[in-house]
Amino acid sequence: MVVYAFYIFDRHTECIYSKKWPPPVAASTAKPRPQSTSSAATNGESAQPLTRRTNQKSDDEKLVFGVVFSLRNMCRNLGGEDNFFMNFRTNEYKLHYFETLTRLKFVMLTDTRTGNLRAALHQIWLNLYIEYVVKNPLSPAEHPGGMGVANELFERGLESFVREVLSAPS
Amino acid sequence: MSYYFAIIGTKDNPLFEHEFGTSRQGGDGVARFREDARHMNQFIVHSSLDIVEEVQWGGGQMYLKHVDSFRNSHVFSFITGGNVKFMLLVAPDTHNASRASSASTARSSTYGQVSTYNPTAPSTEEPIRNFFIEVYDAWLKTIMSPFYQVNMPVKSPVFRGRVAGAAKKYL
Amino acid sequence: MASTKAARIGEDVWKTRVDKVNAELVTLTYGTIVAQLCADFDADYAEVNRQLDKMGYNIGVRLIEDFLAKSGTAACANFRETAEMIAKVGFKMFLNITPPITNWSGDNKQFSLIFDENPLADFVELPDDGRAQDELWFSNILCGVIRGALEMVQLQVEAHFVSDVLRGNDTTEMRISLIRIIDDEMPPDDE
Repeated sequence: MVVYAFYIFDRHTECIYSKKWPPPVAASTAKPRPQSTSSAATNGESAQPLTRRTNQKSDDEKLVFGVVFSLRNMCRNLGGEDNFFMNFRTNEYKLHYFETLTRLKFVMLTDTRTGNLRAALHQIWLNLYIEYVVKNPLSPAEHPGGMGVANELFERGLESFVREVLSAPS
Repeated sequence: MSYYFAIIGTKDNPLFEHEFGTSRQGGDGVARFREDARHMNQFIVHSSLDIVEEVQWGGGQMYLKHVDSFRNSHVFSFITGGNVKFMLLVAPDTHNASRASSASTARSSTYGQVSTYNPTAPSTEEPIRNFFIEVYDAWLKTIMSPFYQVNMPVKSPVFRGRVAGAAKKYL
Repeated sequence: MASTKAARIGEDVWKTRVDKVNAELVTLTYGTIVAQLCADFDADYAEVNRQLDKMGYNIGVRLIEDFLAKSGTAACANFRETAEMIAKVGFKMFLNITPPITNWSGDNKQFSLIFDENPLADFVELPDDGRAQDELWFSNILCGVIRGALEMVQLQVEAHFVSDVLRGNDTTEMRISLIRIIDDEMPPDDE
């Protein structure tokens, strides 16, 4: 599987973390992530829609937030408070969603063949976000103004989690 | 018997004082120091500090037992790890006349012991050891209070109550 | 029912998922902080209470994540359930105590926690300056923790101590009142 992007939104609807992985390139040019190139041949083209606007980072964040927020509210309206969506897919990508009781929203975009990543997002919250961000007394408790989670341990943990667990050739 | 108990800080400064009498053998727990001798207690205890400092490195024990005598007063000492000294002055009664007569029989036996009061007898040392240990326990809890600072006089009524309780129990 | 379930979760989390530290370390650390605040603010106890509450709030907004992660509990259906969670899971998890819940108001929006034991206040005797006994809420940090933690799960509450054994009261009681349920924030309108 291939991970395209990952976002965290807080309860103030602020995007506090976003990360994009360079789309694997199908041809034999640059290979920023060797692990993911195994599937690049088949998925290279599917990354295209997301890469067109990479220069407009905050636009992407707003769009992603808008869609999960609307979808989440729709699910709650239709199915009650406990109803939530886990992921949706288009013909190009799959969006995975996990929300905590504190209204932290974790969003991950992957290729369409990926299974349900709710558990993986839960792991990121539990083992990376809480351990490195929440429990770090020097990190602010909230991240207003898009200052975001600037935390190297979290960054590294996420990177290796995505590389070793999620992108492992299946 | 009458007791004068004092806690001395690391700079030889008094932190706590308490007077009481024996509760054993029908005692009523009230100190009966002669008025003219009372002020001497502090001097006697103070002069014993030198001896405490001489013996404190000797045995590695916290309970230093009987350290000094002055006339009819005997001083016992206990030293904490933090170099705070518990001093207990014991004065066997000498003025029988001031006693109430109701418990005279019990008293007379007490006086029998008094005349031969032996500060190094196990029967004397043991109750005092127990007293010190109980006070030490209360002391630790008191100095653990975040508002207590080292070498600050102890004004806690709770601590005074515990000292009085230990005195009643063992002495 | 909810009550026994909460107790079971609390017990379970405490046994299996909580790192333990020496209780005296906690007691002495907290006591030192309060004593230092009293010194720093020249025994302005109202200000010390405020500072403690503020520190607690900052702890609470973090602690809630850890609480949710370790307890794995779902959202509470009502404020009564929340109270059970606080008393039997939250306090159990972090302080190994389960303060009883009492004095519910008629509208189920206020309750009291009674602290029969309070690990923060072991050994403590308030300064006898004649004011601390009437003005200082020694364990006020707990109010802030609860306020911060509940705010993160959309419950705006007010919490304060109404009595404290350190002041000579018979019990230590904290009153918690639900002010409102915070609505989800909406994203700002784009152009």
